Amino acid sequence: MSESQVYDEVENHSTVREVCANGLRMETSAVEAKLDEGNIQEAESSLREGLSLNFEEARALLGRLEYQRGNLDSAVRVFDGIDLHAAIQRLQPSITEKRSSRRSRSNESVTTVSQHATGLLLEAIYLKVKSLQKLGMIAEAAQECKSILDAVETIFQSGIPDAQVENKLQETVSKAVELLPELWRQVGNHQETVSAYRRALLSQWGLDDDSCGRIQKAFALFLLYSGVEANPPSLASQVEDSYVPKNNIEEAILLLMILLKKFHLGKMKWDPSVMEHLIYAFSICGQASALASQIEEILPGVVHRCDRWNTLALSYSAAGRNKVALDLLRKSLHKHERPDDLLGLLLAARICSEDSLLAFEGVGYARRAVANAIGRDEHLKGVGLRMLGHCLRKQAKVASSDTERSHLQSEALKSFNEAIAFERDNPDILIELGVQYAEQRNSNAALVCAKQFIDVTGGSLLKGWRLLALVLSAQQRYSEAEVVTDAALDETAKWEQGPLLKMKAKLKIAQLMPMDAIETYRFLLALLQAQRKSFGSPGSHMVQVEDDNEFEVWLDLAKLYSRLSQWKDAEICLEKAEAFKPYSAAILHTEGVMQEGRGQVEEAWPAYLHALMLDPDHAPALISIGELLRKKGSMSLPVARSFLCDALRLEPTNRAAWYCLGMIHKDDGCTTEASDCFQAAAMLAESDPIESFSSVL
Amino acid sequence: MSLLDDEDNTPFETSNTSDLDLKLQYSIETLTQILGPIPSLSSSQDSSLTLLHDTNLTQTISTHLKLPNSGAGDNNLCRWLYDTFQSSHPDLQLVVLSFLPIIAGLYLPRAVLRATSLAGFEAILLALYAHETTSRDGQPITVSIPDLSNSSLYHESKAPIKNKAVELNMTIVSPSLEPHGTVRSTRRARIVGVALELYYKKIALMPMSSKIEFCKFCLVWATGKEDGDGEDSVGKKSLLGDQKEASSSSNGDHGVDGSKEKREMKEELSEEKSWRRVPLPWELLQPALRILGHCLMGPNRTNKELTDAALSATKSLHARALQDVDSQAILATGSLLRLGTMASETSTEPDHTEIRDYMNPVISL
Repeated sequence: MSESQVYDEVENHSTVREVCANGLRMETSAVEAKLDEGNIQEAESSLREGLSLNFEEARALLGRLEYQRGNLDSAVRVFDGIDLHAAIQRLQPSITEKRSSRRSRSNESVTTVSQHATGLLLEAIYLKVKSLQKLGMIAEAAQECKSILDAVETIFQSGIPDAQVENKLQETVSKAVELLPELWRQVGNHQETVSAYRRALLSQWGLDDDSCGRIQKAFALFLLYSGVEANPPSLASQVEDSYVPKNNIEEAILLLMILLKKFHLGKMKWDPSVMEHLIYAFSICGQASALASQIEEILPGVVHRCDRWNTLALSYSAAGRNKVALDLLRKSLHKHERPDDLLGLLLAARICSEDSLLAFEGVGYARRAVANAIGRDEHLKGVGLRMLGHCLRKQAKVASSDTERSHLQSEALKSFNEAIAFERDNPDILIELGVQYAEQRNSNAALVCAKQFIDVTGGSLLKGWRLLALVLSAQQRYSEAEVVTDAALDETAKWEQGPLLKMKAKLKIAQLMPMDAIETYRFLLALLQAQRKSFGSPGSHMVQVEDDNEFEVWLDLAKLYSRLSQWKDAEICLEKAEAFKPYSAAILHTEGVMQEGRGQVEEAWPAYLHALMLDPDHAPALISIGELLRKKGSMSLPVARSFLCDALRLEPTNRAAWYCLGMIHKDDGCTTEASDCFQAAAMLAESDPIESFSSVL
Repeated sequence: MSLLDDEDNTPFETSNTSDLDLKLQYSIETLTQILGPIPSLSSSQDSSLTLLHDTNLTQTISTHLKLPNSGAGDNNLCRWLYDTFQSSHPDLQLVVLSFLPIIAGLYLPRAVLRATSLAGFEAILLALYAHETTSRDGQPITVSIPDLSNSSLYHESKAPIKNKAVELNMTIVSPSLEPHGTVRSTRRARIVGVALELYYKKIALMPMSSKIEFCKFCLVWATGKEDGDGEDSVGKKSLLGDQKEASSSSNGDHGVDGSKEKREMKEELSEEKSWRRVPLPWELLQPALRILGHCLMGPNRTNKELTDAALSATKSLHARALQDVDSQAILATGSLLRLGTMASETSTEPDHTEIRDYMNPVISL
């Protein structure tokens, strides 16, 4: 009955308005005049006469007219005349009749008529809602809007039938569904907002993809950012085996993931903000690997490939999969892509700096980053230099010659010093500079760095305390180192005391107080076992770390007992250690040392050799074998020397190796070389830390 | 107070009404003893909510909190805040919580400098930490991510449901909490972080000024300066800018001592000007970013002062994350920054809830 009109001057407000129905049409100027006088009754009756309408139809038209004219107060008054509840009572049976009549295949016009009447009625109420909303009466608007949805649920008890619903009715319902939560949100009623959103998404409203997507996005944003903890969805809405979120962030992430899926399936237009919200949500809850797989699913061509590679690289590196991240960065930093992208360069350099075999590549990235940190990005020059120093330091570890190594080390030092000029109190640079100084045996400079580090971090990071204690121990100031360690223990909660206690035990050993050391180790073991009990979920990352820690403690104890020649105790400790790592070069080496200590040299041999087979780079085993070979006599001296040279290549500051090499030279009759080696050993002995400096980082 | 209804999972403990009124009156009395008479309070004795949104009072407390040495153990205001929070009056606890941005904001940089005693601030922070610890029974907060190939509450999947053991990605958002009696320096970030988690839980109730204050302090934490790298300093008004005013008003009666005190104040002020950037481990950054997310994208995003402050805080945190080359922080701050700029750039969306042929002059049934 409603004819489609071609309207030319849509935007032109001066156009004469017309109303049409039942094939009739009339201009509204007369009606409008009556409305302006505030005479709704008369306006209504003239419409009813002019277009032969019933009461509700006339009211609906009048209200619509007022709404469009912007007379919202008047529109609300007009709509107030319609009694929704009565109308619904009337409509309900006609629909149920419709259902039964459909089965008997009676004429379809009945359905259309009643649906049309429903549509008209609901649109009228909806316009009332919009009028109230625009008038700022949000709470009333929300109540009315809710009544629309209640009405729809009463009328269509088993959901809105897909095919037969008239367009206009469906449109009104969709809009009301979308508007309701927004109204509650504006009112500030959070419980109602959440339940309106859930009602919109969980009931069958026949929404199209776009409006459903908009509601899902709006709800996800509400959950993520409103700061209101919504109660988790009720048990009633749970279907067996399906995933039900149990807090805000889970629900938000689920909705965003579903939205993303809809984009992939082409059901919705790509919306870049959805991806950003998802990145935010995932990274806030530490779900970097899940984020990576979401980004992997984005179809090609949606985002620029370099952006995608970089975001992926960030996610993988946050998830601890640095190798994958580096591969992606290599692509995005390729000379045909974005070779000067600072973020990519810095991240690549950082990843490379963690592996001495990649350090050379990292140096290149870091240099490019430093060169590109200009203009607005100048604040990143410092970090570029820091990464450069880091990579150079790492590269020095695998340098093939002494000259190269010392060259790289001094380059590294230079970079760190340049970096510190940019960021005077950046603790990251301070600690790396400190370690670098310490490794080059410049312990005074290292001490300054360590103190400064503790200052700028307010003592909040353990590694500062540890570096300070290590440098002091290298200066043989053991009691001061112990004071520092005790101070650090005071600032540390129970569960994080492990590394400090281990240091303390080693300090006791260095001070020749083995019994105190054993006592400290015992305390440490008790701590580790208590920790295991309180966080013990097997297989988790934490448990692995604890296993490693406990293994090391038992090993240290075994070494200590074997130095005290308490072989029984040493064996027990070694067995305990073996339970954690059955195939360990360190255990086999210690076994060898014990055999040797008991004078069973022949049994020590296989132990050392096995240790080397497990780990060809195990320097202590190399040294022990060298030493045994030296004792065998002059024939095996060249072989012994080569073992020791290998050991020194791996650990240039190992004083035992230097001493042993000196002995070999001495046996060989080369006194000058021997004295050089002894001198090196003696110097190192005076500056040997109780643990390696780089263990701090 | 729609939020703190009975369905809320973690309501502050409640006791009966008359008891609460007494507590409220007592606390206002002690506060006036500390700060001097506050005109707006005498008229509205009955409602504790006015206390939360009373700009006059907020202003006075803020300026007192920002005085040098304000965090000392013998500071009366700190003691008041501590006692008030321990009074377990739910609305009064919210009042204390609304000053957390200033307390934490000042505490962390001052703790780095280790110049003054901070026992007063620490007591409040520990009280907040203890409250959160008991309310969640020390348990960790976890998040599991669904696998979309299995159906969920909001979608159905055609794929056959595999065996029941659906693999979920579970991570710990906030680890389990152990009780702390003192602030050990290595636990400082965690304690402040947990206090911020509590703040975030109640953030919908917090006054605007408190949130803006938080954003400004985020910037200080990240850069060690008040206005970032001079890019677009939003909060031009110095964080400590109103101090002189406050000191002159609160010490107005002393007349003669006024000028001397002012001079002292100036000296101490210039010391505080040298802020230090604060170590930002994830346990501190994560709750901070959640709060910033709320400020930037939440219900108050129409408030320009707040969104501007939040945006520049996010910018500085992003710059900081880049300097630290911290992937997770870069991801989180980067996405927030892009969302913030997107929101400020895009024009308003078309209103999808408007009727379709709104402008059609021909109205038909």
